[in-house]
Amino acid sequence: MSVLEAHDLTKEYRDGSAVVRALRGVSLSMDRGQVVSLEGRSGSGKTTLLSILGCILTPTSGTITIDGQAVDARRPTDLSRIRKRSIGFVFQHYNLIPSLTARENVEYALNIRGHRGRAARREAQRVIDLVGLSDRAHALPADLSGGEKQRVAIARAVAGNAPLLLADEPTANLDSENGQAVLALLRDLARNEGRAALIVTHDPKVRNIADRVLRIADGVLSTDEATT
Amino acid sequence: MIDLARKILFHDKLRLAITLCGVAFAVALVLVQGGLFVGLLDNASISIDRLDADLWITARNTPNIDFTNTFPDTYVHRVRSIDGVARADNLIVWFMRVSLPNGAQEGIQIYAMDDFERWGIPWNVSEGHVADLHAGRYVMIDDSATRRFGPFQAGEYREFLGTRMKIIGRTREALSFTTTPIGFMDHSYAQAVCPELMNRTTYIVVKLNPGADKDAVIAELRRSLPYNDVHTKAQWASLSRRYWVTSTGLGLNLFLTVFLGALVGVIIVTQTLYSSTMEHLREFGTIKAIGADNGDIYRIIARQAIMAAVSGFLLGALLTAAARPVLDRLDLKLHISSSFCAAAFLGTVVMCLLAGAISFRKVSRLDPAMVFRG
Repeated sequence: MSVLEAHDLTKEYRDGSAVVRALRGVSLSMDRGQVVSLEGRSGSGKTTLLSILGCILTPTSGTITIDGQAVDARRPTDLSRIRKRSIGFVFQHYNLIPSLTARENVEYALNIRGHRGRAARREAQRVIDLVGLSDRAHALPADLSGGEKQRVAIARAVAGNAPLLLADEPTANLDSENGQAVLALLRDLARNEGRAALIVTHDPKVRNIADRVLRIADGVLSTDEATT
Repeated sequence: MIDLARKILFHDKLRLAITLCGVAFAVALVLVQGGLFVGLLDNASISIDRLDADLWITARNTPNIDFTNTFPDTYVHRVRSIDGVARADNLIVWFMRVSLPNGAQEGIQIYAMDDFERWGIPWNVSEGHVADLHAGRYVMIDDSATRRFGPFQAGEYREFLGTRMKIIGRTREALSFTTTPIGFMDHSYAQAVCPELMNRTTYIVVKLNPGADKDAVIAELRRSLPYNDVHTKAQWASLSRRYWVTSTGLGLNLFLTVFLGALVGVIIVTQTLYSSTMEHLREFGTIKAIGADNGDIYRIIARQAIMAAVSGFLLGALLTAAARPVLDRLDLKLHISSSFCAAAFLGTVVMCLLAGAISFRKVSRLDPAMVFRG
């Protein structure tokens, strides 16, 4: 079943008097359990595409359907509602809240998504266990290694059963071993829990876990190849 | 529910300490200045409040109880003859010079009556008997005079305008707005000591019969004494207090102090909340990206502002309580009513929320796409 359907997306913005076309007629779809790698050089439009698919930016034209629901870009409250319910983000710089422990970071994200009290605490603990950080649940981000921080970020993204995971360079700040572990974790979570994961990356290792590899250049999605 | 506002606020303890110190300083400044001013204003009317009179007759345009003018003391007979008047007596309130044993001279404000006990003043006698004042050239002096006159005891003598008077007792809480010490002596001896007061008085105090028509009595008094003013007790107390607020710079001074105190608090809280918001901008961007809206983040900042207000207010109140014994030793009365305290608390919360408003503006323009940037 399709989790994400994007059709003919374009994005234009003004840079002084010039009009920059960041995306040109991008279409893609993703199914549950699927891991897709999105590759491209800096400035190719991959982060713009990720932001639009993540309902953070709105496209100039085109349509998006996430988990069966059409995204109405004209209503900002709709966008935040879809982000809450259907999308989990993993950021390159982890973006954990320094004053919250690992488990609290996950629990707070659940609170935003409408989960409260014991149920939120239980779910937070479940995903912290799932990413293998049971013994670091009460550590502050400052006391965690880069790999551990990224695991917490992944736990935060998957908590609450969002069907679509969007990861922005999740291995960029990790050494090879931790990078491999994080990618394996993303793959397992996507497959075992039926999520669709789109990973924006420069890292060729992502190909090893991806079901499909997309390439973007000058705002055009040029390749869509299956790897497995 | 994770209380992110509290977690962020308490995570940076130095910033929190600076914020709380700022709010506490502003609160303490407002409470102490306001309390001292109200305490002084209480002194401005304490004799009026304590003296058991319903009406006060003054010389025309007397501005307050301390700055008196004289009129013939025989007017009291006219007052006593009016229906509804239970009793009326002359009261002299007059500044005199006292020669001290060290050769210096100091001012004293003398209250002089024929029958103090009947009117309930002085209301707090710590030594001696008020009735003895009629027996000779005797005076009772309030304890608050010690600061200016030096130590004094019953049985000692002081010269009042060149006349030796014996101190026969001490009182407490008889204070004036001008902080001039207060003494009590018999009406006729006060007239004898001060030639200006011969056959003169400064007030006639009036007690009405129970059930008397106050307005009718006042109208009759005004008709009988056309060159005097007649005030009810409440009016006279209010006039005496208001004089110091409106006719001197003290009201403006208080307003400026309170305003500056509040301004300092607002600036410190604004600065710390804003810099905290700027420092946590990436976190707020992440929270927005996850799905929170501006309202969620406003609530975090508002909660931080309210927590800073409540904690800072409590700290400021503690500072004020700690200052009270010091002020007491300086004979400065700190009067903080519960309504003033509540108003200061409300003001603190509003002040802190206003301080957070600038952070609201910054957050409302926050682009969650920033989370994808390095």
